[in-house]
Amino acid sequence: MRIGIEHKLRVTLPPGTGQAVLHLLLTPPSGQSQTVESWSVEAPGIGNAGRLIDGFGNTAHLVNQTKPEGEELLIRVRGTVTTRDTHGVLGRPPGEPMPALYRRLTEATRSEPDFVEAYRGRSVSRLDLLHGLMADVRSNLAHNEPVPTQMQADGGQVQRQGGAEAAEPPSAAEHVHLFIAAARALNIPARFVAGYRLGEDADGGCLHAWAEALDDGLGWIGFDPQAVMCPTDAYVRLATGLDAQTATVLRIVPQSAVTEEVTLTRHD
Amino acid sequence: MGETTPFDEMYNADGSVREPYRALSEWLAEQPDKGLALMQTDAEAIFRKLGITFAVYGSEEGTEKVIPFDVIPRIIAAQEWRKLSRGIEQRVKALNAFLYDVYHRQEILKAGRIPEKLILNNAAFCPQMMGLEPARGVYAHIIGVDIVRVGPDEFYVLEDNLRTPSGVSYMLEDREAMMMLAPDLFQRSKVAPVETYPENLRRTLQSVAPAGAGSNPVIAVLTPGIYNSAYFEHSFLADQMGAALCEGHDLFVDGGKVYMRTTTGPERVDVIYRRIDDDYLDPLTFRPDSMLGVPGVFDAYRAGNVTLVNAPGTGIADDKAVYTYVPEIIEFYLGEKALLNNVPTYNCTDEDQRGWVLDNIGDLVVKEVHGSGGYGMMVGPTSTKAQHEEFKKKILARPDNYIVQPTLSLSTCPTHIDGTVAPRHVDLRPYVLVGDEVRITPGGLTRVALKQGSLVVNSSQGGGTKDTWVLED
Repeated sequence: MRIGIEHKLRVTLPPGTGQAVLHLLLTPPSGQSQTVESWSVEAPGIGNAGRLIDGFGNTAHLVNQTKPEGEELLIRVRGTVTTRDTHGVLGRPPGEPMPALYRRLTEATRSEPDFVEAYRGRSVSRLDLLHGLMADVRSNLAHNEPVPTQMQADGGQVQRQGGAEAAEPPSAAEHVHLFIAAARALNIPARFVAGYRLGEDADGGCLHAWAEALDDGLGWIGFDPQAVMCPTDAYVRLATGLDAQTATVLRIVPQSAVTEEVTLTRHD
Repeated sequence: MGETTPFDEMYNADGSVREPYRALSEWLAEQPDKGLALMQTDAEAIFRKLGITFAVYGSEEGTEKVIPFDVIPRIIAAQEWRKLSRGIEQRVKALNAFLYDVYHRQEILKAGRIPEKLILNNAAFCPQMMGLEPARGVYAHIIGVDIVRVGPDEFYVLEDNLRTPSGVSYMLEDREAMMMLAPDLFQRSKVAPVETYPENLRRTLQSVAPAGAGSNPVIAVLTPGIYNSAYFEHSFLADQMGAALCEGHDLFVDGGKVYMRTTTGPERVDVIYRRIDDDYLDPLTFRPDSMLGVPGVFDAYRAGNVTLVNAPGTGIADDKAVYTYVPEIIEFYLGEKALLNNVPTYNCTDEDQRGWVLDNIGDLVVKEVHGSGGYGMMVGPTSTKAQHEEFKKKILARPDNYIVQPTLSLSTCPTHIDGTVAPRHVDLRPYVLVGDEVRITPGGLTRVALKQGSLVVNSSQGGGTKDTWVLED
C-alpha cells in the first residue's frame, strides 16, 4: 500500500525564548514492512541541522533556532511510504542495538503486571505468549476505560465514570508500556514504536504507538495492544526506543506546547 | 590483609627506618622544636593565599574550608611505583574495553561472565550511548583510582572513579606548597615531578578531539558553577591548561556543533572536559529540568562534532556492584590476571552471604552502592552498636543497595599532630589520563585520616592531604 503522509507540528515557544533546541525523530526507516519513497522535513533551521543516529538506531535531527522570530515554529513533514503487510514480522535489520538492551526496565515499564504470573513456566511458543500478553493488556486496561452515561446518547456532555475528575481513557502509549513491562518481566526484549496509522476508512489517520517484541527465530514482531492486532500495511514505523520518552518524535528545550496535525492518504 | 597491626610505611617492625624514608627520617630528626608546627602555620597561610578551599555539603558553619594539609610527605619507592602503575594501566585499559563492549556487542554479557541485569538495569548504564564510536575508542579519559596499602607488597583497589574524579588540584598545590615549605628536603631526594599534569591533561584532551577539529583543538572545561564543591579545581585546571572555563549558559549548539560565547563572537569548541554529572549534562536528552547543562550537546557528540570527557555512561564501569567483576573484566579483555587486588566484596542479595554479613557486621565496612564521599557508609569497628543495628535494617530492607567488605588495615604514614609525629592511616588516589597514550602522574593524592585510629580519609569527614613523592631511581 502506498501511503501519503503529511504531519505538521506547531511549537509555541515560551515568550522571550532566546534559543530553542529541538531533537526530531521524524525520519522513518526503510525495512521489511515499509519502503520510504520520498521524505522531507521542513523546519526553521533544518538546512543547518545536525544529523545523527541515536542510541536506538533512529535517524535524528538536532535543530536550533537562535532568537526565533515570533513564538511559533512550524515543522512540516511530508512523504510517501510503501507498506507491506508482514503480519508484524520485521526480522533483524542491521545497525540496531543489541536486543538485550530492550530488557532494561525504565520508569514507565518498571512495574510488573499481575497477569504475567500465568505465563511463568508455561511451555507455549514465544509467538503465542506474546499474543496472549497483547490480549491481556487490552482486557487489563479496558477496565479503566470510561463508561459513557445516558447523557451522551442524548447528545449531552460526556460524563466520565467516577465523576468529572476521572482519568482520560488509557492512551496507546499506556497500552504499549504495559505490554513492554509484561514482556520484559518475562525476560523478552520489547521496545516502543512511534509511527503513523491509517484510519479504518482508509483516509485520515493519526500518530500512533505500538510495541515490538523479539522472537529468536522471526526477529522483531510488532504488536498493537490497543487495537489487539499485529501491525498491518496501515502502519508506518517512525522511531523506536525503550519507552515513549526515548521514542518521542519531538523533544524541545525550553519545554513548549506542541499541537500536531496528521493527514494520511491512501494512494492506491 | 586484616592484620591487627597496620603496615607502617616509615618503620620496619624492628623500629629501623624503611629505605624510601631514610632521607625524610634524617630531615625530621634535624627539625628544631616547634619547627613542624611553624611549617604547619605557614602551610595554612599558603593554602589560604592560593585560595584552595572546599565546600562541605550540609555543613552549617561557613561553607568554605581550607583542606587540612600535613607537612610530612608520603614516600613511595621507584620499584613500588612501577608495580602500582603497571597494575593501574592494566585496569584502565580493561575498563575502557569493557565500556566499548557494553555499548556495542555486549560480548561479556553474552558470555555470561557478568550478569546481564547488573549492567542493563543499572542506573549508571546509559542506553543513549549505544553504538557510539568515541574518538580513539576511549570512554574514560580521566580516572582517579583509589588504592590502599596493607603490607610491604600488598595493594588493594577500593574504587576506580571513572566519572569525574576530583582532587587533582590538591595534588598539584600540595607539591607547590611542599616545595616552598621544605626546599632542602627536595635537594636530598630525587622526586618525580607532578607539575606536568595540566600539560598532560591538555595533550590527552586534544588527542581525543573529533576528526576535523584541526591541529589545535579548542578545549572548554564545563563546570556546574561556583556553588559546586570542586569549583576551585575546575577553574584551576582550566587556567593551568589555558582552556576556557564555562558554565552551561556559556555554551550553545548551532548547526549540530558546539560553540562558546566570547567577547569576540562565537568560538567552536572541540572537546568538553565536563565536570557535570551525566543526568544534568543535556536537558534535551537527559533530565529535562537541568539548568546546568547545554541543550543539544549530547546530540552534537553523537553527530561526531564534539568530544565529551569523560563520556556519559562511564559510571557503569565503576559502579560498586560491578567492581566485584573487575578481575573478570581484565581477564576477559586482556587475557591477563589482575595485577592489583580487588577488596573481597560480599553480595547481600545472596542469602548465605547476607546472613554471614549480619552476624559479623561489627568487623565489616558497609557502603551504599551509589554513595560517594564517605556518605552512606559505615565502618564496623569504629561504629556504635546502634549504628550496626541501623545498617542491618538497611541491608535487610534493600540488600541490593549495599556492598560489604572486610575492614582493611590501611597503612600508616608519619603525620604531624600537634607538634609531634604520629602514624595515621592513609590511602592513595593516583590520576590517570587516557587518550593517545596512558599517562599516569607519579604519585597522586594521599588522603590521611587525621583522627587517631580513624580509617575514613574523606575531606568531608575530617581527612587531610599529604604531598606524595615517588622517588626516581
